[in-house]
Amino acid sequence: MLYDVNLNFVFRFPTKIIFGPGTAKEVGMEVEELKGTKALIVTDRDLVKTDLVKTDLVKIVRDALGAKCVGVFSEVTPDTGVHIVNSGSEYGRTLGVDILVSVGGGSAIDTAKGMAICLTKGGRLEDYAGLNILGGPVMSHIVIPTTAGTGSEVTYAAVIKDHEQKRKLLFADNYLIPNVAILDPNMTIGLPKRLTAATGMDALSHCIEAIHSMQSEPIADALAFHGIRMIREFLPKAVENGGDVVARGQMLIAATIAGAAFSNAQVGMVHALAHCVGARFGVPHGIANSILLPYCILYNLDACPDRYSRIAEAMGKEVRGMDLMKAGEQAAMALWEFTKTIGMPQTLREVNVKESGLAQCANDALMDGAIVYNPKPIFDPAEILKVYQKAF
Amino acid sequence: MALSFPSIEWVEEFKRQINSSEGYKKAGATWTAGVVALVTLAKPEIGIKEDVGIWLDLHQGVCRDAKIVTAEDAQKAPFCITGDYARWKQVIRKELEPVKGMMQGKLKLKGDLPTIVRFVKASQELVECTTRIETKFLDE
Repeated sequence: MLYDVNLNFVFRFPTKIIFGPGTAKEVGMEVEELKGTKALIVTDRDLVKTDLVKTDLVKIVRDALGAKCVGVFSEVTPDTGVHIVNSGSEYGRTLGVDILVSVGGGSAIDTAKGMAICLTKGGRLEDYAGLNILGGPVMSHIVIPTTAGTGSEVTYAAVIKDHEQKRKLLFADNYLIPNVAILDPNMTIGLPKRLTAATGMDALSHCIEAIHSMQSEPIADALAFHGIRMIREFLPKAVENGGDVVARGQMLIAATIAGAAFSNAQVGMVHALAHCVGARFGVPHGIANSILLPYCILYNLDACPDRYSRIAEAMGKEVRGMDLMKAGEQAAMALWEFTKTIGMPQTLREVNVKESGLAQCANDALMDGAIVYNPKPIFDPAEILKVYQKAF
Repeated sequence: MALSFPSIEWVEEFKRQINSSEGYKKAGATWTAGVVALVTLAKPEIGIKEDVGIWLDLHQGVCRDAKIVTAEDAQKAPFCITGDYARWKQVIRKELEPVKGMMQGKLKLKGDLPTIVRFVKASQELVECTTRIETKFLDE
């Protein structure tokens, strides 16, 4: 049974979603609606300084903002840090900004969330690590994602690294949920194939983890199951033809609804394990999730075969009449088939993970916030190590 | 005799229960992250005129000190969990699992979540300890 008498949940989804090709140009109107007068664009360093994408995405947003744009903070790196947030906040203060517009992937969005805290509350970002301690609204924040995967445009959390202390800090608060997300497929056109596939797999892992999470619930499930179907249909198309505006758009929507699903239902061991190989071996988050997903499903299989059976169905497998465990197993099979078609690596070995470091990763994974919601409780690092070894 | 929550007597009994719990001794054996403070928000209509902090000096499976402190002092602890009276009542009655409560926004945590997560079993044992206290809730 998917739910029982103990079902109890809170569902949040306050972000205004604007979708459509060219909608990034509406950012000025959204700033006005939020009573913003001095907007600061927060963006990835790579988006501005490299030829990663052929179009100057930041210029599109800057032009759309016109005189309301008082600056661009483009110092965000892929693994954003507390020092970057503090530096961006200082820059924002000198400009007297009253609204933030993040343009980029998860790192830029999370940086802007951190800056929204500092620019409103003052002080250093480190002082605000924790859950629900802000106690009031922070600076308005509009997000324009340039990847389809993170879902951060609708989540209440930001993960920001303290590079000095070598640890990741979690900032989670309802007040951090962005006010507006502008999903403009044109902003993701030209994203390289591998990045398209990896970020798409991040979104798929959000859907699957939301469904198997101990905090799964009907609203998040509805979003997550639909997200799986959308990703199954449109991710291969977006990877195959980066200029397919329809596929790009559907992937942006899928990533956003996956974000809404997992932001409420949480994620489990896939993310915990992926975070740790990411931190130790630099494996991109989406790729780590993609490799680990089927192995984690098989590990968890006996805890919720009914859920995996439905995931298998959403992935296009015919499971009617099958024994529940066999049907659930099909979810892992479907994922292996799917990730091969979009050219994703299949093992940790292929992405330069060293077997000698897996034991430490297993220990680290037990300290990751995501592990709490795994459908099968895990307290022994040896259990995690076995999963890593199978995925190796 | 039932002890009022929160009160000095309740906190002393909580300490006694923690230190006689084999479950907590084992689950918290490697806890060296410092004090955990629990803050109950003021609710004047039931006699809680200002925020009340419970200071738990936990170390390697033992509660070295437990006392009532001001909310201001509680904020100085490396971990400070805040909730209103009804929420703490739910926790003590095992109707609300604390980590889930934090993720749902029902309890507030100041401090490092991964550390708390690593000791989720210890937190469950602490809740078990509260259930062994005969508690008188001020709103009943």
